[in-house]
Amino acid sequence: MKVRFAVNGRAVTAEVDAETRLLDVLREDLHLTGTKEGCGEGECGACTVLLDGRPVNSCLVLALQIEGADIVTIEGLADGPRLHPIQQAFVDAGAVQCGFCTPGFVLSVYALLRDCPAPSDEEILMALEGNLCRCTGYAKIVDAVRLAAKRLAEARVQEAA
Amino acid sequence: MRYVRVETEAELLEALDRDGAHLLSGGTDLLVKMRSGLLRPKSLVDPARVAALRGIEGSANALWIGAATPFAEILASKEVAARAPLLADVVRVLGCVQIRNRGTLGGNLANASPAADSAVPLLLYEAAVELRGKRGSRSVPIGDFFLAPGRTVLEHGEYMRGVSIPVSRGDWIPFFHKVGRRRALTIAIASVGGLTSISNGKAVDVRLAAGSVAPVPLRLKSVERAVAGQALDDSVIARARALAAKEISPIDDVRATAHYRREVTADLVARALERARAT
Ligand SMILES: Cc1cc2nc3c(=O)[nH]c(=O)nc-3n(C[C@H](O)[C@H](O)[C@H](O)COP(=O)(O)OP(=O)(O)OC[C@H]3O[C@@H](n4cnc5c(N)ncnc54)[C@H](O)[C@@H]3O)c2cc1C
Ligand code: FES
Ligand code: FES
Repeated sequence: MKVRFAVNGRAVTAEVDAETRLLDVLREDLHLTGTKEGCGEGECGACTVLLDGRPVNSCLVLALQIEGADIVTIEGLADGPRLHPIQQAFVDAGAVQCGFCTPGFVLSVYALLRDCPAPSDEEILMALEGNLCRCTGYAKIVDAVRLAAKRLAEARVQEAA
Repeated sequence: MRYVRVETEAELLEALDRDGAHLLSGGTDLLVKMRSGLLRPKSLVDPARVAALRGIEGSANALWIGAATPFAEILASKEVAARAPLLADVVRVLGCVQIRNRGTLGGNLANASPAADSAVPLLLYEAAVELRGKRGSRSVPIGDFFLAPGRTVLEHGEYMRGVSIPVSRGDWIPFFHKVGRRRALTIAIASVGGLTSISNGKAVDVRLAAGSVAPVPLRLKSVERAVAGQALDDSVIARARALAAKEISPIDDVRATAHYRREVTADLVARALERARAT
């Protein structure tokens, strides 16, 4: 069966089976390999993408379920060679070690800071509950979110001026 | 396997009537089960576009939540916060952002895990589920909906349209606590919810329910009877604690022992009543 949707603003069509997951289409058909498969059952968040703006586990969504939807993957955030401010904050705060979890975290943070530009620590932790990291112990990830929030706020002030 | 996207309730009924058809909503339980080989449907029927199964609507005497409404929408709803605040409290600690964006209320109930978190507040509010099949619609009290782990009164070809929560008194003191191994994504080891109404120092109305400590989520009726009309003093709370431990029938599994579940449930019941007393 055919499925049509948009990825990072580009319309795509893919030929899939009923069993094909969104994760498989992204990685295997579209070669968007920034989206990772960890557990394959909703526990780790490495496969997080935005579906119509909301973070979801792409390992728990069938490709045919997203007909007509808008998907954003980690590849959709950077502006050419320039990292998105959230990605840059992860690098600067030392929140990336092996990096396997990072795309998922960055997309969860993207949705958080869009809806809640100045989150409390509690709000940050709640937004990241669905993302696991085996390396960093989370403290630096929370630092990265605070740094990204600060930089995005400064950028908004500059833009307004 | 086939995937069938339906747009109307008539199409949904027809597609579900076929041999081996299985309803797929958010997929957060079903796709995990299929992956581990526990279930091999011939077709998956997706009702996401059937408008009648989605949304939240308050009327004079009830709050209606469509079965295919994702938890994120329930958590964002002012209507739910105002009229069924305990449901909002429970959904806030159900899964994580990603799971709440996909997982639905109908899926949580129809999946019939003893640990289905949304069952506890719905039992307390005495909600009813509306089921529809070829022979028509029926409304089933949530307390009669679950039969056993993974089994409900839903028959082949029948689906859940939504949940109706009757308007209840405004003076409930709500309580919900679930114990799990970590804060997020936790399938409960045990959970207890309560609604208590206190007047002149006495518990005039007490409702208690527990999850993960019996084959189905259940109301703790013997505790409710023992406490109703009483002042919540230490001896009443001690009796409630003992009755709670007796009323449940927990099992040993990979997450905890039956003994631990019994202790935790008794403690949580005591805590719910102490909280109500202190309010
Ligand atoms: C990582 C993770 C964490 C989780 N955390 C929790 C948690 O904290 N608490 C908790 O309670 N659950 C939790 N769950 C379980 C799950 O997310 C919920 O039970 C969810 O509500 C299921 O809804 P769904 O729409 O995804 O159901 P689906 O997976 O689509 O369906 C589940 C079952 O219900 C049936 N069904 C669905 N809708 C209907 C309908 N309208 N009529 C008839 N049958 C229907 C399906 O046929 C299927 O058998 C978790 C799951 C994962 C993967
Ligand atoms: S791979 Fe999807 S949540 Fe782990
Ligand atoms: S950096 Fe290795 S899992 Fe997070």
